[in-house]
Amino acid sequence: MAADIQPLWYKDAIIYQLHVRTFCDSNNDGIGDFTGLLQKLDYLQELGINTIWLLPFFPSPLRDDGYDIADYTAVHPNYGTLEEFRAFLNAAHDRGIRIVIELVANHTSDQHPWFQEARSSTDNPKRDWYVWSDTDNRYREVRIIFIDTELSNWAWDPVSKSYYWHRFFSHQPDLNWDNPAVFAAMWGVMKFWLDIGVDGFRLDAIPYLIEREGTNGENLPETHAILREIRRLLDKEYPGKMLLAEANQWPADVRAYFGDGDEFHMAFHFPLMPRMFMAVRLEDRKPIIEILEQTPEIPESCQWCIFLRNHDELTLEMVTDIERDYMYDEYAKDKQMRINLGIRRRLAPMMENDRRRIELLTGMLMSMPGTPIIYYGDEIGMGDNVYLGDRNGVRTPMQWNGGWNAGFSGADPERLYSAVISNPVYGYAAINVESQRRTQHSLLAWMKQIIHVRDSTNIFSRGSIEFLRPSNHRVLAYVRCHEDKQVLVVNNLSSTAQAVELDLQSYKGSIPIEMFGGNLFPRIGDASYLLTLAPYQFFWFRLRRI
Amino acid sequence: MAEEILLADDFVRQLMSVGEVDILVGIPSFNNAATIGRTVLAVEQSFQQGFARQRVALVNADGGSEDGTREVVMSTRADKSSTVGGRGLTSLRTEQRVVTQYGNEPSAGLALRTILAAADLLRAKACAVISPATSNLTTAWITNLLEPIYRDNFDFVAPLYNRHKYDGLLARNLLYPMSRSVFGHGIRELHPSELGFSGRLASHCLGQNVWHQEDIQDAPEIWMALTAISSDFRCCQAFLGTKERAAAGTGPDIVTAVRQNVGSLFWCLDTQENYWLQRAQPEALRSFGPESDLTCEPMNLNRQRIYELFRSGVQDLGPILQSILAAETMGEIQRVAAQDEEKCRFSGELWARTLFEFAASHRHAVLNRDHMIQALVPLYRGRIYSFLVEHQDSTAKEMEADTENLCVEFEKQRPYLVERWKA
Amino acid sequence: MKVMILQGLSQAYDNLVHMIAIFVPRFAVMLIIVVVGWLVALVLRYVFRAILHVSRLDRISEEAGASQVLRKAALPSISELLSRALFWVVWLGFMVLGVSVLGIPELHEQIARVFQLLPQIFIAILILFFGVLASNFLSRAALLASVNAGHRSPRVWSASIRFVILILAFSMALEQIGLANQTVISAFSIVFGTAMLALAIAFGLGGRHLARHALEQYFGSRKTEPDKGEEPSPL
Repeated sequence: MAADIQPLWYKDAIIYQLHVRTFCDSNNDGIGDFTGLLQKLDYLQELGINTIWLLPFFPSPLRDDGYDIADYTAVHPNYGTLEEFRAFLNAAHDRGIRIVIELVANHTSDQHPWFQEARSSTDNPKRDWYVWSDTDNRYREVRIIFIDTELSNWAWDPVSKSYYWHRFFSHQPDLNWDNPAVFAAMWGVMKFWLDIGVDGFRLDAIPYLIEREGTNGENLPETHAILREIRRLLDKEYPGKMLLAEANQWPADVRAYFGDGDEFHMAFHFPLMPRMFMAVRLEDRKPIIEILEQTPEIPESCQWCIFLRNHDELTLEMVTDIERDYMYDEYAKDKQMRINLGIRRRLAPMMENDRRRIELLTGMLMSMPGTPIIYYGDEIGMGDNVYLGDRNGVRTPMQWNGGWNAGFSGADPERLYSAVISNPVYGYAAINVESQRRTQHSLLAWMKQIIHVRDSTNIFSRGSIEFLRPSNHRVLAYVRCHEDKQVLVVNNLSSTAQAVELDLQSYKGSIPIEMFGGNLFPRIGDASYLLTLAPYQFFWFRLRRI
Repeated sequence: MAEEILLADDFVRQLMSVGEVDILVGIPSFNNAATIGRTVLAVEQSFQQGFARQRVALVNADGGSEDGTREVVMSTRADKSSTVGGRGLTSLRTEQRVVTQYGNEPSAGLALRTILAAADLLRAKACAVISPATSNLTTAWITNLLEPIYRDNFDFVAPLYNRHKYDGLLARNLLYPMSRSVFGHGIRELHPSELGFSGRLASHCLGQNVWHQEDIQDAPEIWMALTAISSDFRCCQAFLGTKERAAAGTGPDIVTAVRQNVGSLFWCLDTQENYWLQRAQPEALRSFGPESDLTCEPMNLNRQRIYELFRSGVQDLGPILQSILAAETMGEIQRVAAQDEEKCRFSGELWARTLFEFAASHRHAVLNRDHMIQALVPLYRGRIYSFLVEHQDSTAKEMEADTENLCVEFEKQRPYLVERWKA
Repeated sequence: MKVMILQGLSQAYDNLVHMIAIFVPRFAVMLIIVVVGWLVALVLRYVFRAILHVSRLDRISEEAGASQVLRKAALPSISELLSRALFWVVWLGFMVLGVSVLGIPELHEQIARVFQLLPQIFIAILILFFGVLASNFLSRAALLASVNAGHRSPRVWSASIRFVILILAFSMALEQIGLANQTVISAFSIVFGTAMLALAIAFGLGGRHLARHALEQYFGSRKTEPDKGEEPSPL
């Protein structure tokens, strides 16, 4: 794989996001590990994905699910050893699957040796690796992100008798990126993993690297300067590797993280995701079109990352108050489902286990511009447990079969890092890989099919998008174009059957060929093109001139 | 016989695209390009403020405007910088706006029928009709009309306004007391320019075979209000705001107003006699919002002319009035008309009796009905003259008390109406 | 001589008997036809009256004011009137048929002539009838409009309209039955034209201020002079 450099591979990626802890336990200690993950690579290859994004697996007190890192260049003993990681990485590469890992650049755990040193005295060489203050009055304009648990961005350190800056949990002190030593250390971390062979990094919480008085501490020019430098070094020493930005901002603000193609290769399109859920509930395409119209053009070499769900809460930071209230009322009636400014539920329960809606949303995910990310378990419609603390309800063990511990682990059930979902609707007896493998028309089978269809063309990954605006607002229709090829995508967002007349004059003479079945539809003529769609149905048509 | 086609194909196509709505606001128009843009913005704003999550639609039923009214409706858009969050994000849902021309001439009946048809086809739960000419329309007016329907399940909402004490005298002296005494529910504004109704009521009214009747074409709202009452729909009133005074010479003249409104009222009495002849005790209607008020700023009125028109009318129309009224009533009216300006008083008791005799004669068609209603005009003038003289120094409270007394008088004489009606 | 007289008388007697012998059967047939005709006319009258009752002609006539006119003329209701008219027309038709059976050509001719005139007379009556209705309706409408508009002398307007329409109707009726056609048309034209001319002169010259005022009122706003005040808005 290392020799096989395809500079824009991330544009064609279909990413599968997982935490090694959740996937497969090979040593029956109740916790997933890299050996177990290696054993499941065939499954992932069969599914059709070509990139895995691993959540943090580094040594950590695990007070924030691994995002509080105590050692950047090792593997947490719970998940295996560095050697086992290497073996997994090589096995993945052998199957044509790339590996992207986390780089939590903004902060460390307070148990990290760097912080332990920094707090030990004000003279310590690493003192300045973190942001200290004698008072908690600085940077007053900066918002608190974890509003449910934190009252301030400053925490008092009883050891060094001063305050330290933290944008997340108080046990996650922010690194001081104004210090070149920090830059050098983090670059050293990146080199470590790149040398092992990872294909890219997801940089966590990057808008917050730098803080300045009188600002909101987000997206500052100095932050971009740092990121550009990282990119420069990466391109120079490790061409073909990818940087993915986690910047939960409005699209116009995220644009800056692409630079002129000299910062991040990819960035998440956070605001699109809740609007997809909103559009299906409202049965109105307006939220999607509105946010995509506001999305600026990005450099040719860059790509948005789009997703439906992930390990965090479904964030409602980048929506209006009216939209947030609507989402809460529609998707999180039970307050237990809400955390911070978001909803901690999985895709299937949010869709009320409605296969049609799950398919519709997945279809949109796979056909909109951007690299799609599938969150582990969503391919079989896994459920959640909102009564587990924090966001652990969406991080339960993968359900492989209907047997012992859902096939995740041979350990005693009480020993599992988290209980398996067991209710009659989403429990492992009802929802598991094994039973869905046996049925031709299961959700898993369908997911494989749609991934395969998407992968059969680079129109979706590389093409432009042109929205059609039929008078029926319940239908979201667009044309993806790349070079001389076009795909027409038509989505019925409504729970009732719809008729839609599309203005396809520009494609007059083309024959729409439905991409899942390969069947021909009537040639496009002068008149509006009439389609009828069942509830939540969607079509992908390749337009052929023949 | 083939059913008449009501809605234009293009209109139906637009309704198909809209699908189903929760809230519908209709704006009937004719040559209102100067003011309708403001109305459209007020409606859109009321949607965003009061019904952000509901499926909403605005329907403009136009009578063949030639000043670009329909184009103004389609093109009016709120300034994006004032939108939510300042990021150009507006409402949750697509703003549905439908424009249709129902004919080549304006007709209040056809306009209302078009809006009712849209409400029926779109399965709207709550609807309102808004005048495009009300320049002091606010978003509160629209939400006040819709909320009793959408949230409290009422079917008909009539407006209440603050008015000048000399405005709306036809309503105060004729429509209100008469409809209240006959139908048992008092609607202050029986012919309003703004009203609210439920989808249920819209479907019911649309299904009645009345839309070809000339009698209701100019004042279909009266028929709709009385139909709501007689068909046991839940009715209420909601305070909106201050009713603007029409500029002198722009509103309908007395004769036209009487012909349209009284004609419609009498027709309703005729067609809905099964209800009001049997009805039980009168009931007050529920009201939402503050009590309406009367303003008393001075107004320059030509009382003398009104008095003279009354006198000359009674004299010149004597033979016609004699064929309508009972001899005793006619005699009393002639005595009143013979009095001097200072002493001329058309009492509430005589007025009630006069109206009831007119209503009964209208029912028996003793002569051409439209002529009969025109013959009422001088008598109405007499009543108004008397009213103006009695209330030139009255406060709002005194006027309201007098109106209540008038209603009581009408109710007292109701058996007389029933007797003459059945004769 | 005596014999001749007797022969003559006998001949005359024979002729008389012969004539009676021929006439009586014909007379009997005529009577039968007349009686049958009476029965048929009666049935038709009842049927026609029932049809008119269903069509609510009486109510329409009330509204149009025709019933009042008939009552003033001590005539029955319109449906009764029309059904009686039908009765007589049908019966008279049978009578003519009966008379024709008698075989008296001169009598037959006269009756035929009268019958030829009947449709014209009927139409003329209809024209007069509707003319009276129209004059009633329009004069009343004019009276009401001018009273409510506050015009001076509304009865003059009303009466003028009634007069004009009645004259028109009367002239048309006479023309219909062909009585002194030319005289009537000329007389009507002269009277009508003269009246209009006189009105125009009187209005345009003698009342030009009034004319201007009336036109201003009609085409301009309905404001009265500002210092006299306005009428309160009814709505």
